[in-house]
Amino acid sequence: MLTTLISALRVQPFPGFAVNVYVTRYQTICLALFLALLPGCAVAQGGNFLDHLRIGFGAGANTSQVIDLAPFNIYEDLTGQTYTSSYTGLLMNIGNQYFVQAEWYNDHFIVAMKPGTYTHRFSKINEVVFSNETVEQETSSLLRYITFPAEVRYNVDLNRYRPYAGLTVAYSHLLPANDAFTRTFIRPKISAGAVIGTYIDLRYVILDLNAGYRSGLHNIASKADRFGTDDGTAFAQDDLILNDLQVSLSILFSLQKQRRFSNVECYY
Amino acid sequence: MRKIIPYLLTLFLVLPGCEIDQRNILPEDGFTKIYNHPEETLAFFPESILEMDDGGYIIVSAVKDEFSDIEYPYTTLVRTSASGEVVWAQSYEWLAPCSRLIRQGNRIGFVAMNPQFDAYFVEVDPSTGAESGQEDLQTTMPLHAFSDASGKLLVLGYDFVSRASVISSFGSGLTPERTTALPINTDLQYNIQRHLNRTGQFYPFFIGEIEGEAGTAYFVNCFFNYTLRTVFLDRASLNPTGNIYSYQTEEGISAVMSKGENLFALTNYYEGNNYILPNVAIDVSASQNIKDFAADPLYELTFRAGVRSAVLNTDSAAYILFVSQTNSNSFVIYQYAMDGDSLLHTHYREFDQQVEVRDVMQSADQGLVVLGSIRIVGKYRRPLLLKIPVDQFLPENL
Repeated sequence: MLTTLISALRVQPFPGFAVNVYVTRYQTICLALFLALLPGCAVAQGGNFLDHLRIGFGAGANTSQVIDLAPFNIYEDLTGQTYTSSYTGLLMNIGNQYFVQAEWYNDHFIVAMKPGTYTHRFSKINEVVFSNETVEQETSSLLRYITFPAEVRYNVDLNRYRPYAGLTVAYSHLLPANDAFTRTFIRPKISAGAVIGTYIDLRYVILDLNAGYRSGLHNIASKADRFGTDDGTAFAQDDLILNDLQVSLSILFSLQKQRRFSNVECYY
Repeated sequence: MRKIIPYLLTLFLVLPGCEIDQRNILPEDGFTKIYNHPEETLAFFPESILEMDDGGYIIVSAVKDEFSDIEYPYTTLVRTSASGEVVWAQSYEWLAPCSRLIRQGNRIGFVAMNPQFDAYFVEVDPSTGAESGQEDLQTTMPLHAFSDASGKLLVLGYDFVSRASVISSFGSGLTPERTTALPINTDLQYNIQRHLNRTGQFYPFFIGEIEGEAGTAYFVNCFFNYTLRTVFLDRASLNPTGNIYSYQTEEGISAVMSKGENLFALTNYYEGNNYILPNVAIDVSASQNIKDFAADPLYELTFRAGVRSAVLNTDSAAYILFVSQTNSNSFVIYQYAMDGDSLLHTHYREFDQQVEVRDVMQSADQGLVVLGSIRIVGKYRRPLLLKIPVDQFLPENL
């Protein structure tokens, strides 16, 4: 039944969205398996599920590394030169994310979900060479995703601080955009990576300072829209992978008072 | 710890699924290419495009060098792949190539002139671009060349001695068949020279063929009797049978499309505006004023806009397309039904620099190929090639 439901997503995951979601049958089965295992594992961990639940919200910044899978150039040189196109670097590609966070913890293991809006920015720079000048034409992209990250963390209890490390996998769905350059992308994809961070226990409120690196967010251009003009600027869209470095700060509220540590305790 | 193993297993299962199948993502169906030359002193005036058997294209351009001792532009051919990448580019000393790259059997060539204004058919090797032959066409100042459905070559030239437009037809092997001179009765050599060296008003000289078996066969847009006219010619004798005229040489017809026998679709410009007549019956044996026909204005087109027309055949229907450029730097494509005068859709391709359409054709895969020019960074005039997939013209996508 779950597989059937997810298969339905392939047709129209979000009614009204102009883009289609293309998920392979293989991924559909894997995602179904993942979701089916999730509650089972949670229950299997024992204890009252709600006692081990924390919820909250967070935000942060990210920077994207762009890997050009299939470059396309709108300019051709009649003398045999090859014109290069490049993408802006990490320091220029600052985006942001806002998300809600829900996590279930048990001893050292934590399963965290951080669904939210993740925005990535970058620019493609085309170089056009003339005898006495070289012109750079820049086309900017702003990609907004609804992303559903899931993280599995292993944490160490150091009283107020609980550092952790873990793995993350995320499903991202590209939201419609106004500019033609961004509208060329058709495929939302799955990315994966690693996270590190620390919890800071403030008794009733827990801060989660998190850094993560996710790799493999494919952005494949529609062949019908690969070449176009946006506000008159002609462009050729490449097929890309975004590797993403994120830093986030979350505020979590535990449904159960922290047992082992409070602000009034003293240390000797 | 064992409980977490299913999560990790799932993660490893999901990750390989990120591989994306790109088999369906190919650039040949639609692309935009701008062909740049690094030399700033060159200005490219693309004239026409021809599709090759492998799906690639050959573009012929007139290239004007501001430092050249010769005022007329020389000829450049650019061979591209099916997706628009440059395969080779060759320049030739032949001057002022006129529209239409000619393909006759295995022969590919263009019509241009030497410094003495003598018109030649210049044959090139399509695999390398090397010049492989030349044929004197016995006419001067070539303005347009056209290959009809039977492979016959027709060339429009200007005879500056007799002050006449000259239409010559050539059979297989470029053997001369007939020549018709249409007297202009006034000296327009200066206008013609300015047209050929791309410094003055660019006139819409063209030759077309009327669909049908007998009687009038061709229409020629040329100077005739003081005026820029569309002249209808008899198939056998090339004698004029009728014409459509406008006001002297300043106004005229910019594109004509035959819809069979006496039915036509055409565009014209008059008193600063452009007009379209998508379905008009014309008496090809009479002399008529273009203002006698009801026309729809096209205010968005540039002043005296060049217009190119083509029939687009799809699996389900055929359409008439008129392609031009707007005042807001866009290519505009008016898609009309073949039967009647219904405007089905208007397509736009907006650019941030000045563009001008120069040729249009349907490719073997039914897509539309538009050849134009664009001023890169607002300065340098270069060829622009636009390929639009046929599905963008289908009714379900309009």
